[in-house]
Amino acid sequence: MSAFLARNRLIVLAYAGMVVLLLVTAMFSPGFLSVSNMRSTVVLAAFVGIVALGQTFVIIGGGIDLSVPWVLNSAAIVMALLCGGQDLPLAWVMPLLLAGGAFIGLVNGIGVAQFGVPPIIMTLATNVILQGLILVLTGGSPTPSAPALIQFLSVGRIGGFPVIALIWLALTLVATLLLSKAAFGRHLYALGTSATVAEFSGVPTARTTILTYVASGLTAAFAGMLLTGYSGQAYLGMGDAYLFTSIAAVAIGGASILGGSGHYLGTVAGALVLTILTGLLPALNLSSGALLVVYGAVILITVSIGSETFAGLGGRIRGRRA
Amino acid sequence: MSAEQTVEGARMPAHTKDIKPGIDWRGRALDRAPFLVACLMLALIVAIYGSLQSGVFTLDELNLDTAAAMTLMLAATGQTIVLLRGGIDLSIGGMISLGTVIAATRFTDDPSTTAFWALTILALGFLIGALNGLLISLLKLQPFLVTLATWSILNGVAMIILPTDGGSVPSWWVGFASAQLLGLTSPVWMLLALLLFWWWFRATRVGITIQASGSNEKSAFLSGVSITRVNILTYGLSGLFAAGAALFLITQTGAGSPTIGKDYILPSVAAAVIGGVSLFGGRGHLAGTLIGAFVLTLIGNLVFVLHVSSYWQPVASGIILLLSVLASSVAEKAARNRVQ
Amino acid sequence: MDLVTVNGLSKRYGGIVALSEAAFSARAGEVHALLGENGAGKSTFIQILSGAVRHDGGSILVDGQDYRPANPDAAQARGIAAVFQELSLIPDLSVEQNIWFRHEPRTLLGTVNRAEMRRRTLALLERYDFPALRPEQELRRLTLAERQIVEIAKGLAKDPRILILDEATSALPAREAEWLLKLTRQLAGEGRLVIFISHRMAEVRAIADRLTIFRNGSTVAAHEAKAVSDDEIVTQMIGRHLDRLYPERMPTMTDRIALKVGNLASGSRLSGVDFSLREGEVLGVGGLQGHGQRELFQALFGATKASGTIELWGKPAAIGNPRQALTGKDGIALVPEDRRGQGLLLTKSVRENLTLSVIKRFTENGLLSRQKEAALVKEMVDFLRIKAGTPEQLAGTLSGGNQQKVIFGKMLLTQARVLLLYDPTRGVDVGTKGEIFQLMRDLAAKGYAILFHSSDMPELVHVADRVLVMRNGRIAATLEGDHISEEEILRAAMLETRAA
Repeated sequence: MSAFLARNRLIVLAYAGMVVLLLVTAMFSPGFLSVSNMRSTVVLAAFVGIVALGQTFVIIGGGIDLSVPWVLNSAAIVMALLCGGQDLPLAWVMPLLLAGGAFIGLVNGIGVAQFGVPPIIMTLATNVILQGLILVLTGGSPTPSAPALIQFLSVGRIGGFPVIALIWLALTLVATLLLSKAAFGRHLYALGTSATVAEFSGVPTARTTILTYVASGLTAAFAGMLLTGYSGQAYLGMGDAYLFTSIAAVAIGGASILGGSGHYLGTVAGALVLTILTGLLPALNLSSGALLVVYGAVILITVSIGSETFAGLGGRIRGRRA
Repeated sequence: MSAEQTVEGARMPAHTKDIKPGIDWRGRALDRAPFLVACLMLALIVAIYGSLQSGVFTLDELNLDTAAAMTLMLAATGQTIVLLRGGIDLSIGGMISLGTVIAATRFTDDPSTTAFWALTILALGFLIGALNGLLISLLKLQPFLVTLATWSILNGVAMIILPTDGGSVPSWWVGFASAQLLGLTSPVWMLLALLLFWWWFRATRVGITIQASGSNEKSAFLSGVSITRVNILTYGLSGLFAAGAALFLITQTGAGSPTIGKDYILPSVAAAVIGGVSLFGGRGHLAGTLIGAFVLTLIGNLVFVLHVSSYWQPVASGIILLLSVLASSVAEKAARNRVQ
Repeated sequence: MDLVTVNGLSKRYGGIVALSEAAFSARAGEVHALLGENGAGKSTFIQILSGAVRHDGGSILVDGQDYRPANPDAAQARGIAAVFQELSLIPDLSVEQNIWFRHEPRTLLGTVNRAEMRRRTLALLERYDFPALRPEQELRRLTLAERQIVEIAKGLAKDPRILILDEATSALPAREAEWLLKLTRQLAGEGRLVIFISHRMAEVRAIADRLTIFRNGSTVAAHEAKAVSDDEIVTQMIGRHLDRLYPERMPTMTDRIALKVGNLASGSRLSGVDFSLREGEVLGVGGLQGHGQRELFQALFGATKASGTIELWGKPAAIGNPRQALTGKDGIALVPEDRRGQGLLLTKSVRENLTLSVIKRFTENGLLSRQKEAALVKEMVDFLRIKAGTPEQLAGTLSGGNQQKVIFGKMLLTQARVLLLYDPTRGVDVGTKGEIFQLMRDLAAKGYAILFHSSDMPELVHVADRVLVMRNGRIAATLEGDHISEEEILRAAMLETRAA
């Protein structure tokens, strides 16, 4: 057990931090720990968590996905447009848009893996191109409201549990299996640690990289559709905030931004931490500006804790030269 | 047993004094390929623009376009220094917002108060940037994460000071942007000043050390460079230029905005990359970045003149960005194949 | 009067003793050689002298004054400069910018005085008769040998009283190596002290006045070069008689051809090679550095693009990337040159490293089986006697020899029977070296076919059944039986005419 804790030290810390945060928030806002409040926190965190799932894979693999905002926006807007408020079209619209998100991911992945375009540039470019294309398509005008079915997925409940929380749980299981119990995970961690060593060890590096970006496109598109259900409408810019929060969630969860380490379970903690912090807003009477300051400070603190443990490790590795 | 052969298997002059003087034109062209591609792109855009709109090749146009591009140019100058170092600075978004916000709430018609606050903003830019550099070195953290966090903090502070766009700036400050000397407005002179600065900066030991640290941090360290000091200076300069960008920006907007800075972060990187600055560090010239900034700004003009939806601008920017990266990587591969 | 006197020098890194009770003394105007196996403490010693590392105990006197530099700059102020094997050069700067890095002559504006810098560069290069270097050329365009020369120029530019050269000739071709040896004598003639680390006895003999021998972190002896024999030196270096290092050669070769290569060419360095490797054979690849050996191994493994034909066990093989090379029993595996950069994930465990190439072997129904993985790991750890506390230990904390074993294990688990070993014993302690040689023979006896390259000629001579000598990207000679000797290898590597 202690070996497990030692190896996953950062994830454990993230959850510990989350618990501390919960207690602190509860101190300032007694009603915070109520069932209904916890439920809405989990629902809000689910959106971050779903977007951050793909981002987790990409970051572990050593990349970054900056196209998340407009993949999300595009899926949201196009879904609203194509469905026109009706449930039935969802049957083909949803798979279509998921495929669309995957396609954008494929483009990103090929750019990075085959053409050697740095991830920052590739995903930045696709984000911006997608933004232009969607705006040209819609002319920037408002879209019809979301179909009822999607709204159910986002805010509805089954047996008291929010549907989206169940969806998130299922996705968490899949992600955990992929990372811990599948060849893909081993390949990914190796790739993120050293692409050269991975290549020399027979790891399918190009394929693995592309898969991470495809996953990110998928989860961003999925999140976009679900978010539309949550707010009832798709609006421009709904995805913008999710870039920062997805990266922050992954970092708080203990993953190294350089790649090679981290786990989705840590990202889950990160998503929850960020959402609870947002809940502190009304509790502490904080302005949205102050919240941003808090976000930044939290990121700095959590990643420096993670870094210190590696700093000690670096010393041990270096110590072996005579 | 002295062989005439060297490792390459070809016959080389034995000693330096035997080398015939000459310049490796092809090699140098390949090195500068991304920059040349950027120049070509700019030329192309200006040509199309000029053919569709009259009065493009006039001083007036130059003045106008430079003013439109100058905020980005200033932000991108700081970013270029950081990229040269091999890092990235996302916090400039927050600094620019913060700068405009402080200016819009503190500037008055009284020149000395305004001057004081302007200098304070610049100093703040440098100090916060230096703090970025310090955190990166001391905590051994990645620049991406540190500057992401400080961006959030600065953004937050800006929002606390001025929650929504507003405030005011003295008209004489705004007028600075249109002040003329020899037919050229101050932004154009600023452009020249930036180029002069860069030419000087890159020839100093400090500039060379920053470039070296980006080219190969380990080698620089082994050569005795204090990486901490380099980081402090690099990010400090970036913050300083971001503050400068804010001070210029308010001449264009006349007000402060807590959110405007984020629109300059990724374009500052894009401008540099289009101009041939390497994301891996150690290579790049400000002239390229400034051309990149011009390219990005003129795309907007072009889109307008072509009578297409302005939404095509981001599409064009993205495509141009990808094209220049692909051009650099092709040139990079060609250059590498000529060397063992 | 000694220029440098060292007594009782000690240095620990955590639990590892790098140096203990090391002693040394040398005079100005002398060329002093440091000898010793890898891991004996020479590197730590010169790192301390050059200010890169601080010592724990003991004293160092330079010119009779206490010497304890806080960093290389301080060492330089006392006139000590080092040229390390690990180059400290900046790829994007020019040759002359690298030479004068941080000491550039400046103008009043604070900018670099290019004309003066050029003048000083040419003066320096001319004074010491440097091999051809273009001052304005970007460093990234230079070959490894040329970079080594620039590194030497960089050291000399500091006008040191004491110059330390760490294996400076290992990257240099013959003519340039000769120049360097002459240079050391020239520097000594100028009244400087040159401390020279090399593994090549011939070089040491050619230039050293005195030598100091390191073993296991201490200095075991210091001699006047004239007064000691090669045999004595080697015995003191390894602490045991030479012959037991290499295993007995057994006839293990069969008639089956494991690997057949036809006109294999790649890039500018590998011009076209043809050869066959038999089952049970240990085939050595030698020649001077940089004549295509690296490219050959990388091409065979699919790590670089190549043209030509490769046949494995009689069947044509298309090897476009390492993944296609590692196809199981009929595949081909590589233990690469750069242990840390190509072979191991330093921040991952021994277990994760060992099993990285064979994940399929412990996957059931799409999921990884911890038990099966543990079994594979145990198999290799036991077989290779990998010394690690637990398989969860991070690969980066292992000794060089054990790291090499992990890489071996990773490749052995793929069950590929054709093994490519590129300098497998470089930087490995003498004990593990012997184990690796024995392993090679054991594997050959089991039917493996081994192609190995070593930069150490005695290794090739003592371990290989046949030796292919490469020159200019082709095989200049194939040596067998009694023809395998250091002279024959050198002759084939360097002279124009030799029947292939």
